[in-house]
Formats: sequence, C-alpha cells, structure tokens
Amino acid sequence: MIDLYDLHPNARRVLDCVVTASSVLLCLLILPTRLPGMELLSVGPNWLLIWVVAWSVKRTMLQGALAGLILGIIQDGMTSPSPTHALSLAIVGVLTARIRKQRYIKEDFISIALIVFGMAVLAETIIAVQFSLQDLSAGLENGQRTLAEIWLYHQQIALSSAILSSLWAPVVYYPLNRWWEQVQDSEQA
Amino acid sequence: MYTLRRWWDRHGVGLGLLVLSLSGAWAIRQTQGAAIFELYRFLTRPLTHASAPAEQPENALTRELEQRLVELESQNQQLQALLGYTSKISGEKIAAPVIGRSADHWWQQVILGRGSRDGIQVGAIAAGNGGIVGRVTQVTESSSRVLLISDPTSQVGVTISRSRYMGYIRGQAANRVIMEFFDKVPDVRPGDVVATSSYSRLFPPGLPVGVVESVNLNKSPAPEAVIELSSPISHLEWVIIYGNPKSTADPTNLNPDDDPRQPRNPNLDPNAQDSEPTSTGSRF
Repeated sequence: MIDLYDLHPNARRVLDCVVTASSVLLCLLILPTRLPGMELLSVGPNWLLIWVVAWSVKRTMLQGALAGLILGIIQDGMTSPSPTHALSLAIVGVLTARIRKQRYIKEDFISIALIVFGMAVLAETIIAVQFSLQDLSAGLENGQRTLAEIWLYHQQIALSSAILSSLWAPVVYYPLNRWWEQVQDSEQA
Repeated sequence: MYTLRRWWDRHGVGLGLLVLSLSGAWAIRQTQGAAIFELYRFLTRPLTHASAPAEQPENALTRELEQRLVELESQNQQLQALLGYTSKISGEKIAAPVIGRSADHWWQQVILGRGSRDGIQVGAIAAGNGGIVGRVTQVTESSSRVLLISDPTSQVGVTISRSRYMGYIRGQAANRVIMEFFDKVPDVRPGDVVATSSYSRLFPPGLPVGVVESVNLNKSPAPEAVIELSSPISHLEWVIIYGNPKSTADPTNLNPDDDPRQPRNPNLDPNAQDSEPTSTGSRF
C-alpha cells in the first residue's frame, strides 16, 4: 500500500487521475455483461449513472455536469448516438451535486441508494422523453417505436434499473468515496 | 497578465484534464467504442468456450427430416439455377460466441467475440439455433455488435411461408415480435412459419424467423400477428454469421430495415421481372 502522504503532490495527482479513470473503465467494461444476480427482467444496473452520482455528491454542479457529459458521450458510442445519454447523465450530475449542497440528506449508504434510485428513474424518463420527441417530430413516416410502446417499456426498465442500480450503488460508491477522501486529506496535510 | 497567469496556475491542470477527457470521450463515441469492446473481448477471452458446441441430431426422425430438407434444398437450388434466379446466401459460415449484451436497456444488441480479423463485415446476418437473430452493425478487429431483430428499431420484411402473405415485423424487446400485414385479410393462423421476404432490403429472402403465436385480424390500421422467434434470443450463447449479398456496408445505418410504406422496389422482387406472373410464381 502506497502512503499518499509521502508522495510528491504531482505524483499524487497523477495517481488520483489513474484511479479515477480506471474506475470509469471498469464501469464501462461491466456494462455489456449480464452476470447472475445483476439482472432483473434482462435489465442490468446502470453503472455509469452510479459512477456519476458517486462523483457528484461532493462536487460542484459544473463538475457533475461535465462528468455526466463525458460518460454520456462514451455510452453513446457504445450503443447508439440518438437519443443521447449525455443529456440525462449531465442532468443527473447537476441534480446530485445540488441535493448534496443543500444538506437535506446525511451521508450514508441508504441515502446514496435513495439518490441513485431517484436518478435512475429520472435518467430513463429523460431518454423516454427524447424518444417521444423524436417520434413526434418524425411523424408517422418512419416506423419507429410508438408513444405507447415507449412509455410501456419505460415503466418496465425504469423500475428494474432503479432497483438494481440502487442495490449495487455502494459497490461503486464506497471504494471511490474512500479514495477521494484520502486524496483530499493528504492534500490538505 | 499576472491575474491571467495566476488563473492558469490554479485551473490549468484541471482544464487540461477536462479537454483531455472530453476529447477522449468524443474519440470513443466516433469509433463507436471500438477500443472498449476490444479490451472487453480480450478480458473475456478466457471465459468463452474454445469451440462451438456441436449440435447432435436428437433422434432418427430428426435425422430423416434433416436429410429430406437437404434433398429438397438442393432440388430447389437446381430449379432456381434453371430459372436464372440468383442464390440467396453465399460464402462461409462463421460461428461466433456471444460475449456481452447491449450497454443500455433501450437497445437490444449483443456483442460477439469475432470481428473483421475473422472475416465478419457490417451487414452480415446473424442466426441462432433455429432462425435469424439480427444483423451486424459494427465491427472491430476482434469483436462485433449485432442489432437484434427484437429491437424496436429493427424492422424486417417477412412472409408467411404457407400462404405467402407479406408483412413486416417490429421488435418488442423480448422473445416475441409483432408482425403487421400489408393485406387487410391475410390467410394466417397460429402455427404458421414466418420467413424473411424478398422485399426485405437488408436480409436475403427465405431465412426462418419464427412461428405465429396468435393473430389479431381486427387491429387497425393493419392486421397483426404475434410471432414467437425460433431462436432463444434472450439467452443466446453462440450465433452463426453468414455473409450477406444485400449488405449495404453502411455503418451509420443503424435503423434497419424496410419501410413498408415506401414504394416497393421492383428489382428486389423476382416475380416482377417475370413475363408471366402466375399465382404460384413465388411458391418455390
């Protein structure tokens, strides 16, 4: 175990960046898997959303928005760029940072799980709204999803994704939060 | 100048990191996550089986039916060759393991552990045990992404094998798909076999899709049938990739397939060029 306090500030910063980036990479690599226990109605946890929430709880709204934007762009590349995930994740980042600012909720696993639950529902709703807008603007010409199909499907996946994401949230949140706290402590020392 | 310098000292690194990660994210988006899927493929390599499981015929009846099928297929090919009808599927088959599912719940995709190095191209057909499952939409060195026919954006022109009534299927994000007919009163009943039609722009005709489960003739604006897909699309382990003569090789075309409301292209209809269109013309 490396002692953070002994490191040069720049080395510490580089290490922080490497740990943060590799945690994102881990979340990205786990996205296409459907491991036993991580699946409900063939829907898995939204790992990127959990990461964005974990990142944003102790940061500013701008930082939350940027993290959401970056991860959303990456997820667009891994699935399909329209409608975009960047919008929903950026809004999740902003709102999470804002909730924490007002100190309504104390910090523990339960509150993180609750935030993730709400944000997962919100993120799926934003995607569904984008689908609906696409559907309305395209008219009946292209045989895309219909409004009824979109919102029926939204109900199914919003609930199962929210349940699973909130249950798995501590797995991402706990180690990351601990790491960032240590880095911050060593910087102040 | 001094304040600018001080601002840069405080925020320069953060700004640099931000630009770096934004451009990295954009690069991943433009390459459709190729690097991530390559890495994913590399990491899951030890977990996948070495070779495709050999499917053994269950009993004597299955063997007999298979032999009759081979006989009929070869007869069919000879007759089609006599008519000057071009062949449907050519090229070799590639067995590919399914190493992952879609990275989001709104799309029905699978990730395969074979890529351009093994000869898979964009537009190739993926078939599971018993019928088609989708179409390759993106290929990296050693992985590829398949848009399943159960995806709501995936629409395939199909036909009822018995009565030749045409329609198209829409995905429902599960093992069932909805077939909409072009005709008001189609001759269809539960148990009928459904195959891709010659109007499909992205799939070759005659590939098995599924079996009619229930029919709703009163549905407006067009009669609908619920099709049960023959291949177990929710727990695929291996798929067979065929080369596709109709492949458009356009990676941006993620929204297949037919828009049945568009005028039908007569070049895709073998009967349209016949001088004697008979009622049995399409019943091969």
